[in-house]
Amino acid sequence: MGFIAAVNLALLGLLLAVPAVWGDFVTWQLGLYLLYGIAAQGVGLAWGRGGFLPLGNALFFGVAAYVSAMVLNATGGAFLPNLLAMLVCAALLAALAWGLAAAIFQGRTESGPYFSLITLALVLIVAQLAETAQPVTGGFNGYSGYDSIAGLDPYGNLYYLIVGLVVITSFCLMLLEKLPGGLILRGLVSQELRLQTLGFATHRVKAWAFALSAFITALAGGLYASHQGIVTPQATGFVLSSELLIWAAVGGRLHPLGPLVGAVVIGFLSAELRDTYLWWEVLIAFLFLIVVMMAPGGAVEMITRLARKLGWHAPKLTVAPNPAPPARAKAVNGPLTLRGVHVSAGGVHILEGLEFTCPARGFLCVIGPNGAGKTTMLKTITGAMPVERGEIRLGERDITNVPQYRALAHGIGRKMQIPTVFQDLTVDENLQLAALAGRTGPLDYFRVAPLGWQVPELGRLLDQPGVPLADLGPVAAGALPQGHRQMLELCLTLGATPHVVLLDEPTAGMSPEETGLMVRLIRDYQAQTGAFVLVIEHDMALVQSLDADVLVLHQGRRFAEGSFTEVRANPAVTEVYAGGHK
Amino acid sequence: MDQLLLILLNAAWQIAALALLALGLAIVFGLLRILNMAHGEFVMLGAYAHVIAGQLGLPPLTALPICILVVGLVALLIERVVVRHFYSRMFDSLLATWALSILMREIVEMIWGRAYRNVPMPVEGLVQLGGVSYPGYRLIVIFLVIAGFACLWLWYRKSLTGVRIRAVVNNPSLARASGINTSRFSAAAFVTGCVLAGLSGLLLAPMLGVEPSMGLDALIRSFFALVVGGLGTLEGLGIGVAVVGGVQAGLSAALSQTAGYLGVLVLAILFLWRRPDGLYRRR
Amino acid sequence: MTLFRTLAIAGALAAGLATAAPAEIRIGVVIPDSGPSSLFGPASRNVAQMAAEDINANGGINGEPVKLFFADVGVPPAQSAQAAVRLWRGEEIHGFAGMHNSAVREALIGQFRGKVPFVYSGVYEGGECAPGTWLTATTPAQQLAPVIPWLVEREKVGRWYLIGNDYNWPRDTNDAARDIIAETGGEIVGEEYVPLGSQDFDASLQRIQASGADAVFITLVGGDSVAFNIGFGAFGLDKQAIRFGTLIEENTLAGIGAAGANRLYSSLGYFANIETDKAKAFATRYADTFGADASALNALSQSVYDGIMLLAALGNAAGSMEVEAIAAVADGTAYESPRGEPVLKGTHADQTIYLADGTGAEFKVVAHFDNVAHGVTCD
Repeated sequence: MGFIAAVNLALLGLLLAVPAVWGDFVTWQLGLYLLYGIAAQGVGLAWGRGGFLPLGNALFFGVAAYVSAMVLNATGGAFLPNLLAMLVCAALLAALAWGLAAAIFQGRTESGPYFSLITLALVLIVAQLAETAQPVTGGFNGYSGYDSIAGLDPYGNLYYLIVGLVVITSFCLMLLEKLPGGLILRGLVSQELRLQTLGFATHRVKAWAFALSAFITALAGGLYASHQGIVTPQATGFVLSSELLIWAAVGGRLHPLGPLVGAVVIGFLSAELRDTYLWWEVLIAFLFLIVVMMAPGGAVEMITRLARKLGWHAPKLTVAPNPAPPARAKAVNGPLTLRGVHVSAGGVHILEGLEFTCPARGFLCVIGPNGAGKTTMLKTITGAMPVERGEIRLGERDITNVPQYRALAHGIGRKMQIPTVFQDLTVDENLQLAALAGRTGPLDYFRVAPLGWQVPELGRLLDQPGVPLADLGPVAAGALPQGHRQMLELCLTLGATPHVVLLDEPTAGMSPEETGLMVRLIRDYQAQTGAFVLVIEHDMALVQSLDADVLVLHQGRRFAEGSFTEVRANPAVTEVYAGGHK
Repeated sequence: MDQLLLILLNAAWQIAALALLALGLAIVFGLLRILNMAHGEFVMLGAYAHVIAGQLGLPPLTALPICILVVGLVALLIERVVVRHFYSRMFDSLLATWALSILMREIVEMIWGRAYRNVPMPVEGLVQLGGVSYPGYRLIVIFLVIAGFACLWLWYRKSLTGVRIRAVVNNPSLARASGINTSRFSAAAFVTGCVLAGLSGLLLAPMLGVEPSMGLDALIRSFFALVVGGLGTLEGLGIGVAVVGGVQAGLSAALSQTAGYLGVLVLAILFLWRRPDGLYRRR
Repeated sequence: MTLFRTLAIAGALAAGLATAAPAEIRIGVVIPDSGPSSLFGPASRNVAQMAAEDINANGGINGEPVKLFFADVGVPPAQSAQAAVRLWRGEEIHGFAGMHNSAVREALIGQFRGKVPFVYSGVYEGGECAPGTWLTATTPAQQLAPVIPWLVEREKVGRWYLIGNDYNWPRDTNDAARDIIAETGGEIVGEEYVPLGSQDFDASLQRIQASGADAVFITLVGGDSVAFNIGFGAFGLDKQAIRFGTLIEENTLAGIGAAGANRLYSSLGYFANIETDKAKAFATRYADTFGADASALNALSQSVYDGIMLLAALGNAAGSMEVEAIAAVADGTAYESPRGEPVLKGTHADQTIYLADGTGAEFKVVAHFDNVAHGVTCD
């Protein structure tokens, strides 16, 4: 941990030295900026790690500030009751945030502007209510006339409480970065869809991120009430919400300390400019624009990049390899069956009453001309596209229109047509995610050990001669050549040892040698696990080499079925292929 | 009876004003997927065309070409220097245009100060409709908006340019391959959206007065109208402004302005949550 | 950066280079330079300079010259309080004076805690009784008590409609207005509050029309007031009812324009064209000093002059800038103002109130009421 820990300790030492060196006013000022910074850390978490942009986080800040002020007023500032009230209030707001995010993100895989606009509308509503409900909140003029928590002086000892909160939130956020939870969040930002096929309910992952964001922001709001001695509607307003974003953006949303740095630096800068330069807002806006255009990662991101260039790497958490628990998927007790499945998109009918039963184990190859509906079929089985009519069953279970993230829990793994690995993550991290998929319980997100999970099937695969991934650990997955990417994609698909494996053109873009290796790997997996493997393929040689039953799709229907030789001998199939390139 | 007519006329005015305000935002979002947070500042800049015309001692009608020229040039400059780097970067574009909005507001304050300015109504007097007397200028604006939207809709559906626009929106790479200059198209779309925002400011200024911070309210109202109608279609915009304008006018008339304001916000949240495509869907 | 500056000062002290500062009274002027009320900033600065000149020309405070320091309090309360405290601590301010909104005032008072004298000026809702705080700001009682009976008498009105923004000042002002209207035998036919930042008043205008009101009392502020009054005029409601407001100053009236200003009354402690010798001299001097293009005078900006003059008068009366010393002698202190002859009664000033008619978008003072009691009781 050496160097980075030393830097962090030095920063902490600096914070603790402020009252002695710079006196009580700077202390008070810094206390305010640090509180804003903590709130901005909440925004940074949601934005940088959850991939969604909250435009209304002052909602949590302001409501917590009002509640704290009222409790302080009622209790005369006694320490423990108020601390408890702050925590309870933050927890309630976090629960609200969780419900809000879960409700909004359910059934959506993009984080688009909807969520941002909803939080914007919410913060406008709450600010208006705070202004209107004058008897309760004091209205525009604010709620004041209460003692600070434990009677701590905002110019003195309250500062240490604030620094304490800074240390706790920063430590927790930095720790989270190193834990499976942090890895999953980074995976979420990198490739949300893929994370769903790995069995993670991304809307709930986002909900947890937003809940944590709200919790942190609310704690800062609670202390803000003590620090300021007054709470006004601006504490829960749109302007503060937007400032939180600016601080997070300028400081750096991708690092836990970024928003803190942003809030403190911009805070001191604008305090200084405000008194000396009438048009200080122009300079702040300009700075903000430059950061958004030139350095989207913010200041701390620039610093960490520079540090990396100088060879100062953040220390890797070394985790002892340990056996992974068995996958949590339900046992598969019968074959995959499609009955009269109809699917359409954009007014075009893609599957029209598709009907067939797969073997319970072994291989099935699916062929058909372009546009036959092969990929759509896989998407439909895993819940990525909705079935309009018809039924999909896996053994006894009806799995028609299961949400995509539930497919893996039914034992279904899918490899995408275009390999969609987590490009921003390293190969090692991709493999860690593969091992986490389908195995994590609620506590595993916050334990170190799962990062060292070893899945025997994956280990065997990686140990095969010719599989290059073991040596490419620290390389970003986005930098891999196509063939290697296909291998990694296969690892992601097989990590949870699914019983039903759906492979969409697994050898596309591969050299003949790589193709041979790939076939060997798939065969090997099937032999070990007794799984059912469905392969969509154009390469007839490959289909032949798998020596499996073949299903021919044409115009969204089952066209023919049988052994490779039978299908090849079928003149109708030949005709479809010859004339079928519509 | 007269009360009802007055309510209907007021609703028509609200809807017309809102449609005018939101159109530019809808175009920029619908065609470019950019949430233009500086939209309100273009409305404000358009309103200042009256002030420029006054300062130059030109007749009031010259405010129209001044508005198109000034807003168009500013929009073009901003598109070339800033916005074009942000196509397909939704959040970053939101932040960048927002920084721009602060910059524009402050620069206008530097040039013209922060004082409120009055723009005399181009058409004074009341028109007698049944038992109701209604401001003539408002009736003219309502008429202009209806006519303008009808033309726009016809043009968008029938003309070759309309076809091109729809092609670029539906499939940018294919459009590029078929020889449409998407970069020039994007610039044109952004400038058009901003000039329309400016024109709405120009038309509404006599009813609102002019000041540097008048844009925020315009932005927020346009956003929520757009949200209810469905982000990014002309028909959706029409439905959205009708619903939002109607709810605001109705709740304000029945309860209070605060209720109207909160009602629109709640409505917007419900739509964003349950019907993110808005009331109008293409299919 | 503050840090560097403080470091430099600390270094200079350590090196023994510091020289004793010349004796002077350092006054912090807290006025908005940013945000919505920054409109009033430039003229406030100008009149503050005039006040300093006048004080210094008359021997300063207790023989020591006055020096002004400004802080921008147009930002939200937390940042405003911070700017003021920064000035207080950094420049060793002896007393504060200024004009800003009530939320900021509460935040400032929360930081000052009666340890430094503070004079608040402008227009506000009344009721401020914090220790160490004195006010030249006009209260609802002052702006309404003499004016409403006068209007009732003159315009023969009795059916009042109250409209204001949804926050403390309008609600508290209307509380006062209701009592006074009742005393004149008038009735309230409607009362409503709209969110700050409203631009659309159609529903309100329709209600006013339907209510048959013959007088509308307006406590809308800024752009809201402008939009409301433009609409009022556009619908021809000026023929149905007079309007009367307690925060319609010259800027707002300019925004409203002539078409919307017919029969629009405003009562304030100051207008730029009051026809008394004192006020004329003040306005002429302002124009001569800062030029014809200078930001125009109005009741809010001008009040900063009064605030500083009161602070100086209090310091001179007490012989010190300590809060306790001032509190002991404050009651009855008179101070110089172009408004008339204001005198402190308790912590608030009794003063002259002017009523102006804005018809034609040009205020014309139609009545003035001397020595109006502020009506605030602190216990």
